[in-house]
Order: sequence, then structure tokens, then C-alpha cells
Amino acid sequence: MTTFAPITEPRSSVETNFVAATVGGLEPSLCGRASSGRRRSSGKDESALIERLKAGDQESFETIFNLYSPKLYGVAQRILGEVADTEEVIQDVFWTVYRKAKSFRGNSQLSTWLYRLTINAALGKIRREKKHSKEVEYEEYLPKFQDDGHHMVRPVVDWSDTLDEKYAKQEMQDLLAQALDQLKPVDKSVVMLSDLEGMSDREIAKTTGLTVSAVKTRLHRARLFLRGNLAVHLGYSAA
Amino acid sequence: MVKRKAAAKALTNKTCRQISDLVFDYLNEKLTPATKRDFEQHLSICPDCVSFLNTYRKTVAVTGSVKVQQLPPKVRENILGFLRKRIRRVGAFLIFLVAYLAA
Repeated sequence: MTTFAPITEPRSSVETNFVAATVGGLEPSLCGRASSGRRRSSGKDESALIERLKAGDQESFETIFNLYSPKLYGVAQRILGEVADTEEVIQDVFWTVYRKAKSFRGNSQLSTWLYRLTINAALGKIRREKKHSKEVEYEEYLPKFQDDGHHMVRPVVDWSDTLDEKYAKQEMQDLLAQALDQLKPVDKSVVMLSDLEGMSDREIAKTTGLTVSAVKTRLHRARLFLRGNLAVHLGYSAA
Repeated sequence: MVKRKAAAKALTNKTCRQISDLVFDYLNEKLTPATKRDFEQHLSICPDCVSFLNTYRKTVAVTGSVKVQQLPPKVRENILGFLRKRIRRVGAFLIFLVAYLAA
């Protein structure tokens, strides 16, 4: 049974008030600053855009759509895996942006809100449609240790240099995509935001509604799982 | 002999299991100087943990290189078309509502 509880649960009364009015229980302005590296426009430009959007200006809405839809589409597609679902999620996200722009208080960057909307909408879709049926036991791919704390299987093989030699680029992409798809949806979202989008643990926490500590735990475990998965594909022990 | 003793001490300071728990913070440079020293001391005498660290690091690197699907122009047009239609409908409804209330 897949669980997504932490990501959609409101964390405060402020958030609770907003939950009913947003896609998948999202809240636009709890979050702090997202990294400036991902910013598409200067803060001033962005504020002006948002103000115009709040006034119902369609042109600024489309500017925001053009700026963010490619990135958000990529994230949603990686989480959902299906083009039709992704299209629907992005539609829902931007429709929410248009309708709820006035609720955006500007305590966070627009990008943080948009990522949050997208991830929650994608996870909500998976949960509602019970699409994530491939439950893989992480345990099988995690490192194992003896009672004295040493590695269970020794020697641990260093395959870091041989990975690129063994697989062509496309093969590697397929292998990784396959491994990522076996992650629990919330974990996949955390990995996406960290390793693909380059967000810090704190930013991911703000975006997903998880605690920083939960983000770290999920990310570490997901990486261990992916590492074990790659090792097994290369013919080595995951342990 | 002294060297062997020091090595054994380092091994007991941190076990391979602990190293695997600390690798996340090590790569993020979040370990305290003392823990980092212990961590690296363990690595200096444990080839298994060096392999573990290298493969963990490699996993992070290759995960970051996963290609993300581009937004196809046709899908972009579909989404935008859908949104424009909805916005127009809402606009028309509001005009109707204002006119109705004014009447």
C-alpha cells in the first residue's frame, strides 16, 4: 500500500484554510525562498507579473505558463510516467494558478508554489487512480551489514568507473528510468527535486510539505535503493 | 604495530554501517569536523567503504543526468487551448452576471 500522507497534510491553521481551495491540498505561500539559480525572471519582474495575474491579466498568465510549463511538465511526467496524465495535471495546475493567484501572498517564490502544485497534483492523481501498483521492497536493494557493523558481502565492488563503459547512453537512461519508476511516488518526487532540479533539502521540504529530516531520510534511502538496483543490473550484490 | 593499533581504533570509531548512514551528510558537507575526521579515517583503512562511497556518489551523479521529457509542442498547444477556453468561459459568465445584477 502506497502512502503519501506527509506531503498533502496541512501543517498549520493557515494552511488548513487554504487546503480546500487548491489542487490536492496545496498552499502557495508557506514556503520560503527557492534557490535563485532556478529563477526565470528577476524578483521585480516576477512580482509585477503576479500582480497583473491577480488582476486577471491573461497575457501575464500566459507568460508564466511559457516560463514554467516545460519544467513542470518534465517533473510531472517523470512522476506519473504517462503523457495523458501529465497533460491533465499541468492543465489542472495552471487552472489553479489562474483561479487562485489572489491567494498567492508572495511569502515564497512563484516557482516554489508551482512545483508544490505540480507535485501534489501528480501524487494526488496516483493516489486517486491507484496507479502505482509496482510495489518493490526497498530492503532487497539496501546495503546489509553483519552484527559487528561490517559489510555483509565483501569485498564491496567499486563499479563506479565501469558503469559508463558497460552501458550506452540510452541504455543507461532506460535503466535509470526503470529504477526510478520503482521508487515510491513521494520518494521519486524528492529524488527529482534534489538530483534533477538541484533543490536543497530545505527547499524540497518547503515544496513538498515534508520536514527537512524526512526529506533527508527519504532521499538517502531512495539513493541506496537506486545504488543497489544499479549494482544488481551490473551483476553485483546490492549489499 | 602502532599503525595497526591506530587502524583498529579507527575501525571501532565508526563501523561500515555508520559510514553508510553518514554518507549522505558527508557528500553534502554537513558532518561536524570531528565526525568528518572519523569518517575519512575509516575510509583510509576500509576499501569496502571507499567502494560504497564511490558507487553511492556515482548513483547520485547518474540520477542527475536522467533526461526529462520535453513538453511536446502539440501538448503545449492543447493545454494552452484548454486554459484559454476556460478563461473565456469564466469571463463570459462574469459579464453575464454583472449585466444580470445591473438589470
